[in-house]
Amino acid sequence: MWKRTLIVLLLLILQAPAWAETLATRAVSAAVSEVAGGKASAELFRRPALRNLDEVMESGHINIGLYENFPPYSYRDESGEARGIDAEIGRAIAAGLGLEFRPFWIKPGSSLGRDLGNNVSRGHYLRPTEVADVMMRVPYDRAFSYMRDSTGEYINKSVVMFGPYQREEWGLVFDAGRFDDEATLGSFLHQRIGAEHNTMPATYLTAVLGGQLRDNVRHYRDVGDAFAAMASGEVAGIMAMRGELEHYVAQHPEHDFRLAEARFPGISRQQWDIGMAVRHTHRQLGYAVEAVVDRAVREGDLGDIFQAHALVYRMPDFYAEILGQAE
Amino acid sequence: MTQSLPIGKLSRPLALTALALAISVHAHAVTFDDMLNDHLTTDQVVTNGMGLHGQRYSPLTTLNTDNVHQLRPVWAFSFGGEKQRGQESQPLVKDGVMYVTGSYSRMWAVDAYTGEQIWQYEARLPDGIMPCCDVINRGAAIYGDKVYFGTLDARLVALDRETGRVQWIKRVADYQEGHAITSAPIIIDGKLITGVAGGEFGVVGTVFAFDAETGDELWTRPVIEGHMGYVYENGEAVEHGITGGEAGLTWPGDMWQQGGGAPWLGGFYDVDTHSLLIGTGNPAPWNSHLRPGDNLYSSSRLAIDPDDGSIKWHFQATPNDGWDYDGVNEVISFDYEENGSVIKAAATADRNGFFYVLNRENGEFIRGFPFADKITWADGLDENGRPLFNPEGRPGNPADTEGERGEAVAAYPAFLGAKNWNPMAYSQDTGLFYIPSNEWMMDIWNEPVSYRKGAAYLGAGFTIRPANDDYIGVLRAVDPLTGEEVWRHENRAPLWGGVMSTAGNLIFTGTPEGYLKAFDATTGEELWGFNTGSGVVATPITWEMDGEQYVSVVSGWGGAVPLWGGEVAEVIKDFNQGGMLWTFKLPREYAQ
Repeated sequence: MWKRTLIVLLLLILQAPAWAETLATRAVSAAVSEVAGGKASAELFRRPALRNLDEVMESGHINIGLYENFPPYSYRDESGEARGIDAEIGRAIAAGLGLEFRPFWIKPGSSLGRDLGNNVSRGHYLRPTEVADVMMRVPYDRAFSYMRDSTGEYINKSVVMFGPYQREEWGLVFDAGRFDDEATLGSFLHQRIGAEHNTMPATYLTAVLGGQLRDNVRHYRDVGDAFAAMASGEVAGIMAMRGELEHYVAQHPEHDFRLAEARFPGISRQQWDIGMAVRHTHRQLGYAVEAVVDRAVREGDLGDIFQAHALVYRMPDFYAEILGQAE
Repeated sequence: MTQSLPIGKLSRPLALTALALAISVHAHAVTFDDMLNDHLTTDQVVTNGMGLHGQRYSPLTTLNTDNVHQLRPVWAFSFGGEKQRGQESQPLVKDGVMYVTGSYSRMWAVDAYTGEQIWQYEARLPDGIMPCCDVINRGAAIYGDKVYFGTLDARLVALDRETGRVQWIKRVADYQEGHAITSAPIIIDGKLITGVAGGEFGVVGTVFAFDAETGDELWTRPVIEGHMGYVYENGEAVEHGITGGEAGLTWPGDMWQQGGGAPWLGGFYDVDTHSLLIGTGNPAPWNSHLRPGDNLYSSSRLAIDPDDGSIKWHFQATPNDGWDYDGVNEVISFDYEENGSVIKAAATADRNGFFYVLNRENGEFIRGFPFADKITWADGLDENGRPLFNPEGRPGNPADTEGERGEAVAAYPAFLGAKNWNPMAYSQDTGLFYIPSNEWMMDIWNEPVSYRKGAAYLGAGFTIRPANDDYIGVLRAVDPLTGEEVWRHENRAPLWGGVMSTAGNLIFTGTPEGYLKAFDATTGEELWGFNTGSGVVATPITWEMDGEQYVSVVSGWGGAVPLWGGEVAEVIKDFNQGGMLWTFKLPREYAQ
């Protein structure tokens, strides 16, 4: 309430006294409708439009944070529509709460911590008034959530990470036309392998086996580019997230690209869970979102979304334990 | 622009005469001669660096150690609006008008006598720009009847000096890839030359040259081994030699293709060798264990032929960099006498804590020494200036981490460098360099629990810390012939502003605490200070109007330091942002 009062007062001060009465009336209605959207006060005070559950519900829409250009999880189609698994889950969240779905596109930064700061908790310094209400595809890892800095402070204390909805893992795809048997890591002592630049596979492949694969690693902007390169024969394999690999294998039916049963010795995280994040003061919003997603996991709607995108749905540990459906 | 342009001193006057005729209809067009003489003239400042060599030395003596206490503000000009952060610009002065850039890609022309605005230009920045290190701009270039500056969406803008109207806008690189221009472009004989900052995937640092009049491309020179440089003939790119001869000599696999090395701070010009002297950024990816080899020409200094972009020589300060020691810091040409002969030298103070004196005719290492109090990554330099690496000072390979957090390596200096972007000055009277430096260190450890774009990631954790309890910044007077530190002035907050020296035996620099300060160049005694109301992280200038000496500096806290924080945050957390151009003068009655 104090926000509305402040705006009205401010507007009153700014107006000539003779107009004050009518303007104040208009200002009240304008301020009320805009504060519900969080925008007016945000712009005025150059601070993030941090909307709690009530404000989100009152506004009639929810801003769902999605990574841009990230198939099969989130991307824009030719007409600019949000597509992909996370976009569909976002739509389900909006529908479950009776709200309009609005995608909030996120350009990935150098680390998850930065993405959370720039898009959930405080806003990027260039766009301090713009944040998502809830961000998708945030790894759910207690060790990360409770990580401390050198002074003992919790590093990620301004966000809550919640609602695991998928298990993700590393995988390897190979071009079966280029190998006699199923490919393993060792196969790439003699063939080229692709990885997305600045990812765990890029680091892992250049270091594993004492660095012997290093000269055979080719770096690509993203996994889509790596598949295009494999289609043209530039590389014979690709290491990436399993979800991405399944998606792009399905996109290249004319090639005999196959997922290998590869193991990655020495890799520090072979599997991890994916959930969501809200600002730490908005737990109530988090609970409401979590309830919708939880139902979708249990009732199989989430599995349907993955299946529709040609992906195998892997439940997070949390559910696998409860529902006894370990993959 | 297609024919090869005249090189050297003999042919240049001819070209200049033609040029001068062409633009003489404009009463006060800035010529290349004006720039070549900028360090000698006192009534204008028409180059970044107060001289194309970047010495930042004024021959003015009106203001000196005896009367600097009478220096006083005459006007101040607010950059206005809510965009109050990160002012790192050096103003230019021509014909009583000051041209100054501000954060968020803005520029103003201001009456140098009164501080009244003549015009303002504000670039329309697209949504989604992602500059790495604040929204700063470091200044403009001026030539003919135009002024030029680079924008956060990686464009060059040419404006009419008198009206501020756009003459042309040239896209240099794609801002969507994270590119930005923050440095002041340089004009060499009609060519507008710039580097570009940042960039994500597959970035290869590149130097670009354009025709200052038309904005047409003239040449490009990638600074990483294996990439083709081009010159433009009739608008067509023509191959002009591969940087470093061929790919893969000092990089493994395909890593040269994403080598980094952005020359984001721009360069200076040496007229004697007709060279652009420019530094290059650190290599990519950050993990040095993935790219064994020297990784040329990352973290290096280059001498580039401004006519066609050819690299004449290189000097690499940090081979196989693993500490983020960008090699972009300025290279300043200076001469000294030794055994009766004049040595054409160039000096640079690197992020890595070492000060280098090079032969600017061939890039050969003459001498080098630490200017930082403590350096842990190298034990010293060999006879060629190559570091003697300390194996224990290199951060470990994250790929070797299993389970728990790796052991932290304490590295001195920190990744923000013993000296960062802020330029040092050289005094022709004392023969000393005045280095705005910082004493800080970093802990780096392998962080197995980290994520990026929805995926597990092998990150490195790091934190930046002051090396001492009571100060970080150190303004140092250093003898380039002996390495001796003649004096030092310690400052609690990190120094992030440039330095200026004058023949009045004065040294000027600003502090994040808000002060513009003047020191005795010989003794280091602090003689004068004025609190501008916000941190000074820009570079001062001085000039003369109607027989009175003026000093100007932009005030406005920001830049990279507040974005990184660490334990340095405690020192700087109370500094307020700003955006104000301050001008001071010594009133006539106090001049001797």
